[in-house]
Amino acid sequence: MASVSANFLCSRTSVRLPNQMMMSKKSLRLATVGWGRTPGLTTSRFQITTCAAKKETVDKVCEIVRKQLALPADKEITPQTTFTDLGADSLDTVEIVMGLEEEFDITVQEDNQDNISCIQEAADLIEQLVANKS
Amino acid sequence: MASTVKYVRVSPNSASLEEARRRVFDFFKTACRSIPTIMEIYNIDDVVTPTQLRSIVASEIRKNSHISNPKVIDMLLFKGTEELNNIVEHSKQRHHILGQYVLGRPEITPDSATKEQGSEYLKNFFRSNYF
Repeated sequence: MASVSANFLCSRTSVRLPNQMMMSKKSLRLATVGWGRTPGLTTSRFQITTCAAKKETVDKVCEIVRKQLALPADKEITPQTTFTDLGADSLDTVEIVMGLEEEFDITVQEDNQDNISCIQEAADLIEQLVANKS
Repeated sequence: MASTVKYVRVSPNSASLEEARRRVFDFFKTACRSIPTIMEIYNIDDVVTPTQLRSIVASEIRKNSHISNPKVIDMLLFKGTEELNNIVEHSKQRHHILGQYVLGRPEITPDSATKEQGSEYLKNFFRSNYF
């Protein structure tokens, strides 16, 4: 039984190697890092479509976040800042999402809720939901 | 309304702190989504804004944020859901809502008229029994 599973493992690693070699010229590492990345093709496609969040959406999100967390006016907010960087705990994050729901008149589903960790993601999700609604 | 308040159906105890946490967030979301209805029922549009109500709900939840026993959290959620139900089905009246949630919060109704000229002792006295 153990030998069978070992064989299976060997065959899997042999399939994995060509992927690794195609992706990078680094030394042959049998780590499982690469294996998890092959569904990453779809992820990269998703990223391309969601880079198109409009500037005013991002600005509105920043404004709401700033008001919600009572940040001083000179605190820098880039689209990449996560909410935890700005000192928000998880309840604050939910509250921010609620504020965004009210502002843009959308409804965020449960599974989308957990993915939102930075401002860019929030803006992208809003764009998507507004586009789906109309 | 997209998400009506779930009428009290006692669900089994949360298995872990993580599940209790998720229930708290669901409760918070339900409460936030019922805020427009509440403002409509009790005509409090001229006293508070939805944003202020949201932060009031959040601060009430945050008061119990230090609790780590899932059963206690479930009990608090039950009480919260019951309170929310009472409010949404108009079992309360406007002065209940205003007195319990709106007034006396320094960030919403700054106590401008009260006792600015009083002494420090009096201010402490009005604030609480123990000082």
